[in-house]
Amino acid sequence: MSCDDNKEARDKDRKVRRSLPIVTAEASVKAPPRYWRSVAERDAAKSIALAAVNEFAPGADELPEGSVSRRGFMQLMGVSTALATVGAACSKPRDKIVPFVRRPEETVPGNPLHFATAFSLDGYASGIVVTSHEGRPTKVEGNPDHPSSLGATTPYEQALILGLYDNDRLKEIRTNGEGTSWRGFLMATKARAEALSANGGKGLRFLVEPSSSPLLGELRRRVLARFPAAKFVAYGSTASDGVDEGPKLAYGQPLVARPHLDKAQVILSLDADFLGDGPEMQRLSREFSSRRDPGPDMSRLYVVEPSLTATGSMADHRLRLRGGDVASFAAALAAELGGRSGLQALGPLSALPKGASGDPKWLKAVANDLEKNRGRCVVVAGRRQPPAVHALVAAINAALGNVGTAVTYVLAGVDGASGAKALGGLVEDVAAGGVDTLVITASNPVYGAPVDFKLEPLLRRVPNTIYLGMYQDETAAACKTVIPAAHPLESWGDARAVDGSTSIVQPLIAPLWGGITEAQVLAAFLGEGDVTPHELVRRFWLGQRMGGQVAAFDGAWEKWLSDGILPDTAAQPVTVPEVNAQALATAISPLLAAAGAKTDGLEIAYVAEKLHDGRFANNAWLLELPHTITKLTWDNAAMMSDATAKAQGVETGDVVALQLRDRSVEGTVLVVPGHVDEAVTVALGYGRAGDAESVGRGVGFNANAIRVSDAFWFDRGLKLSRTGDTHKLAITEEQWTMSPDGRTTPPPAVDATLADILKEGSEFNEELAERRGPLATIHTPVDYAKPDADGKVPYKWGMSIDLNKCTGCNACVVACQSENNIPVVGAENVRKGRHMQWIRIDRYFTGPIDDPEMITQPLGCQQCETAPCEYVCPVNATSHSDEGLNEMVYNRCIGTRYCSNNCPYKARRFNFLNYTADYSASQHMMMNPDVTVRTRGIMEKCTYCVQRIERKRIETRVAGTDIKDGELQTACQQGCPARAIEFGSLNDPNAKVTKLHADGRRYDLLHEIGTRPRTAYLARVRNLNPELATTTKSESGEAEKAGG
Amino acid sequence: MSAAPVAPVSRDPLEPAVLIEGAQTDASLNESLLNHVWRGAGEGWKKLFGVALAALGLLVVAISYTLYKGIGSWGNNIPVGWAFGIINFVWWIGIGHAGTLISAILLLLQQKWRTSINRFAEAMTLFAVMCALLFPLLHTGRPWFAAYWLMPYPSVQGIWPQFKSPLTWDVFAVSTYFTISLLFWFLGLVPDLAALRDSSKSKTKRMIYGLFAMGWRGSGRHWAEYKWAYLLLAGLSTPLVLSVHTIVSFDFAVSVLPGWHTTIFPPYFVAGAVFSGFAMVATWMIPARQYLGLKHVVTVKHMENMCKVMLATGMMVSYGYIMEHFIAWYSGNPYEAGQFFKVRWFGPMAPVFWTMFFCNVVTPHIFWFKKARTNMGVIWVASILINVGMWCERFNIVVTSLHRDFIPSSWHNYGPTWVDITLFIGTIGLFSTLFLLFLKFVPAVAITEVKELRHELEHAEHARGAEAH
Repeated sequence: MSCDDNKEARDKDRKVRRSLPIVTAEASVKAPPRYWRSVAERDAAKSIALAAVNEFAPGADELPEGSVSRRGFMQLMGVSTALATVGAACSKPRDKIVPFVRRPEETVPGNPLHFATAFSLDGYASGIVVTSHEGRPTKVEGNPDHPSSLGATTPYEQALILGLYDNDRLKEIRTNGEGTSWRGFLMATKARAEALSANGGKGLRFLVEPSSSPLLGELRRRVLARFPAAKFVAYGSTASDGVDEGPKLAYGQPLVARPHLDKAQVILSLDADFLGDGPEMQRLSREFSSRRDPGPDMSRLYVVEPSLTATGSMADHRLRLRGGDVASFAAALAAELGGRSGLQALGPLSALPKGASGDPKWLKAVANDLEKNRGRCVVVAGRRQPPAVHALVAAINAALGNVGTAVTYVLAGVDGASGAKALGGLVEDVAAGGVDTLVITASNPVYGAPVDFKLEPLLRRVPNTIYLGMYQDETAAACKTVIPAAHPLESWGDARAVDGSTSIVQPLIAPLWGGITEAQVLAAFLGEGDVTPHELVRRFWLGQRMGGQVAAFDGAWEKWLSDGILPDTAAQPVTVPEVNAQALATAISPLLAAAGAKTDGLEIAYVAEKLHDGRFANNAWLLELPHTITKLTWDNAAMMSDATAKAQGVETGDVVALQLRDRSVEGTVLVVPGHVDEAVTVALGYGRAGDAESVGRGVGFNANAIRVSDAFWFDRGLKLSRTGDTHKLAITEEQWTMSPDGRTTPPPAVDATLADILKEGSEFNEELAERRGPLATIHTPVDYAKPDADGKVPYKWGMSIDLNKCTGCNACVVACQSENNIPVVGAENVRKGRHMQWIRIDRYFTGPIDDPEMITQPLGCQQCETAPCEYVCPVNATSHSDEGLNEMVYNRCIGTRYCSNNCPYKARRFNFLNYTADYSASQHMMMNPDVTVRTRGIMEKCTYCVQRIERKRIETRVAGTDIKDGELQTACQQGCPARAIEFGSLNDPNAKVTKLHADGRRYDLLHEIGTRPRTAYLARVRNLNPELATTTKSESGEAEKAGG
Repeated sequence: MSAAPVAPVSRDPLEPAVLIEGAQTDASLNESLLNHVWRGAGEGWKKLFGVALAALGLLVVAISYTLYKGIGSWGNNIPVGWAFGIINFVWWIGIGHAGTLISAILLLLQQKWRTSINRFAEAMTLFAVMCALLFPLLHTGRPWFAAYWLMPYPSVQGIWPQFKSPLTWDVFAVSTYFTISLLFWFLGLVPDLAALRDSSKSKTKRMIYGLFAMGWRGSGRHWAEYKWAYLLLAGLSTPLVLSVHTIVSFDFAVSVLPGWHTTIFPPYFVAGAVFSGFAMVATWMIPARQYLGLKHVVTVKHMENMCKVMLATGMMVSYGYIMEHFIAWYSGNPYEAGQFFKVRWFGPMAPVFWTMFFCNVVTPHIFWFKKARTNMGVIWVASILINVGMWCERFNIVVTSLHRDFIPSSWHNYGPTWVDITLFIGTIGLFSTLFLLFLKFVPAVAITEVKELRHELEHAEHARGAEAH
């Protein structure tokens, strides 16, 4: 057998395989081992290799596409034996999906593939690119080509991976507690649908997730065509009537406002946490940070909000105002501006009812600033605010001439409201007994619905309830038929971003536990339940785009999949009509009056963060993620200001009963600096009761238990009463300020005013200059720029973190956790100070405790050139690379913890217990194979993602090139929406990171110890309004420590 | 040979009290000092031994649990990477120092009063070091590797220990210390073991003691070589008194941590070690001399001398504290200043600091008074306070420094778990068990040396008597 024959056979084989789904094609001919222990062994290996090639004619050992080949069967058997508990765990998606970015000729084991898809939350999509190792999705990144993502992610997207492999997910279809099959369900549904269609679908209701998916839209239309009397009701417990209806009040059509912060010199946020939350958080963070470099173009951010948020912490000026009073502020602002020349359009709004709107001087200064920057400023209203505020904001933006520049409008993708009002209609129908079959695809509405709807007992009265959900949660318990939902990474479908850009959602893996998509459920009512979701979405787009011409479609389809976005789907901004301020004033006057009527008692404000509406309640990465402001993990809390806590006689850790309108729920008090007085903020999504959600069960308390439909986001009249119990919250950072005990150490996180930064030789700039550059030493520093034997200048890895861009959104923390297989430790171990996240986002408050400024500082290993950790390790388990990396050799570590003791940054993490021991078989599939999974008793820390460096090094070596700046990103850098983190070789004079290391704002953390860290920080800058500078910029020193 | 009364004026003014009480002969010494070995185990001993064994059982439980569960069963966290484990290690090592000091340095300085207590103190050294040795291994995350990776051996991986690390130095320092202490103690025991062999009533005992007596016959040559060997080992031990705790202090001094990075640590640690060592000897000696009938050889004079050593070393330790604070202020280093003037004095762990201050700085000053130095009750209470104080000192250095260092956001409090506390109690159990066994089976006082001393004293008196005549 000649070598050529062998090659020919292999080529043929490859051709066959290339036509197969790429992730399934991985059989490769094994070459004889280069080393052998006996001749027999060598020959055996060779004969096996030859047999594999020659036994059958090329392709004959592969069954036709769609079936399981012999080889595939063997693989399947191997995997399913190993993962018996997972069921059909590792089976590949049966339908063809197309990789993103790189399209290798064949799958090379060990080389991951990247697939573009999209993830929807609150009805809008963000593009993601998922890394897949041999068919196992392991990491989520943003899709750089997607307008909402721009390559970045939120913590939610990063945490998708953990949710995918969650062993607590629903695993079988059950009807009345008995297991059934999808086929069984289809047969039952067919019969039911036929019965229902007899009377036009009267009694058929769908309670769905808000969605802008074109496929689902089409399916819903078709369902309604078959069942004209049926109804679709969308509900999300984080829905915003304001966003849905506000612009309609102003413009008469369903529009969505899209701020463009890169075009805004002045930004006013009215309770809008656009840097921490929302469907366009990544884009807005990027645009915001693009205008925060010190200089004349630096934008100024004003924030009016009740509790401190990521956006509030970035504000140059912040006004604390109760959530319900923000409407009064908006009205007062409109009135103030209405009196200015050229803004008379707002005149009629000055007659609106007045309420509490904070310091009039503040409002006036903001109005002046907005007026001065007409056409290049923007007012943004938050999702919690009522339609009246959104309408007012629309009017103000229009009057200021910002429409078309700093704000544009597009037609809403989500049709109709999805808040309490929408659900109310369904509740009435059910209560009236007119509902026979209720299909629920919304996210756990029994948990998330306002308590006054009493949804659970109502659901039990409906003869047929079908719930498509991921978990055996509260809703599943109340429904007769429960169908396991496919995870977004297991689903075929499509999704639309706020701007209309549409992506095809492609699965990374076949449903682990037989998950079903919403499209399939709807199709079941059309008698198409046996059509695969892949076929559903293909057929739909075939009809949409190509008029059914299959030949042309295939090429386009593959490109859509690999790009992660369909061309020409982004909507053009709508040209909006003039706002009729008079009509608007008439329309919203009663709304404002109603809001202002209730002023007595404490205000309660609900907020959706970390767990969103509760759909991530079983996601340990998100549960253990320290909250941006409070650094609270696991639990939620009744957050309030120090003054309010004192007035109520409670303190952090006290368990109180929150009483509202005869209902009550018990929660733990947490004092938060910067919270408005007379108000309590509570996060939604906690206090889950579903038995099957083993991670999230019983964590925190359920705010929905007191939330009512007519006060969806804010309510007044809350009463607190101490129960006498206390609960120790798991907070990762107990210290609140940079010198809690009054010591005079240099501040770790530096901030300054724009004036100080821009003035050369200012005291501030001189102080900062002392915190960088080499210190005197008796040692000869290592020359990291010295060319090697081949005359090649080595890489010198370095990082810069711009505190002026970091919002503390936590995307980097979860990205790092996912990339580096970092375990979670549980609340008890967080309390003990053993959390494992390699990135700690330090958070400091300065100024008075009631109204402080806040600064965040991400801190991982600083990769010191003269690292104190290295010389104290008795076994050489941490050492220095030629490129300046401080390396951690897990296998060698004996766990003395001396390195951590000697680390001045305390950037090291220790496996105190065997945190990875209880991983389910499915969770094992989640691990990044490029990173060692650490066992008990060893130290770990940030490595600058050394596995990514090495992978890129191999790639470039093979290609004969060098790693160019920007080609290599660490996980935190890649996830960061604000682009606050840069990474690269400091020996490359043109690298971004090198330039930032030379920036005037650069300083080294603990520079005075002489550790020569490779991570440099850039000082935060505040662009103060001179009119307000004296009153709000506090120079009165540190906030007193209050709790912790 | 008349037993003429000796005039007090003729005594050495530096040794005003008697070192051996009563008119003792070799035979009477033999009998009284071996008596506690031959006498059956008394009720008191049995009870004490039961308690000690129970505590030892706790140690076994705590160690097993630690190995099964991991370091997470302790209270340690990040930033407090070291806590009870290292505190106990340093504390026990320190306690060992009195033995070495008494055996070696006082021997070389020809301090006669050492003879009655050296055996006792050496045994304590040995057992204390054994307790201490538990921790360097146990406190690591993976002791099964630490056990041999810490040793310099030519491994196939080609990796040596990191010789720059003070923990590697510790391995050498402590293992040397243990070996020399063991040899020294055993060598001193050989003639007494021979005496035990010779006075044994049963064959088994004779064989066992005979085995350990290594064929000692008490010939002139034996004595000559024994003397040399003993002196040589004393010479070897002497630098160890200084080096071991110096190296242990390097664990801290070599780091960058405020509160650890302190150049005064080596002498201050050695002084502290001797301080705590003598306190521990006093704690055990006072009941032992009472119940083992050793009052005639371990006299008030001995106790008084030990008190003086405690007073002197206590003041050295106080000086160390003062210098730490002075340098924290004088250096202008805000982290040091923060550590000493904010964290130690007023921080969450401040009670430990003030306990230490009272026990180590205030307590020893009672020994300025002769009444206190000769009152066994006072000495006993003071010695226990000093032991508590020295434990608190190590807690201050290890935990208090770690829990609040440079960057406030990384600060975290520390609290021990039941395993930490059980381990500590357990080591006391181990120490007590070994010590009670020692008291039961081995002469607690070096009989040979006491006899020698008796002869020396007798000769000296004769000489004085001759002069007087």
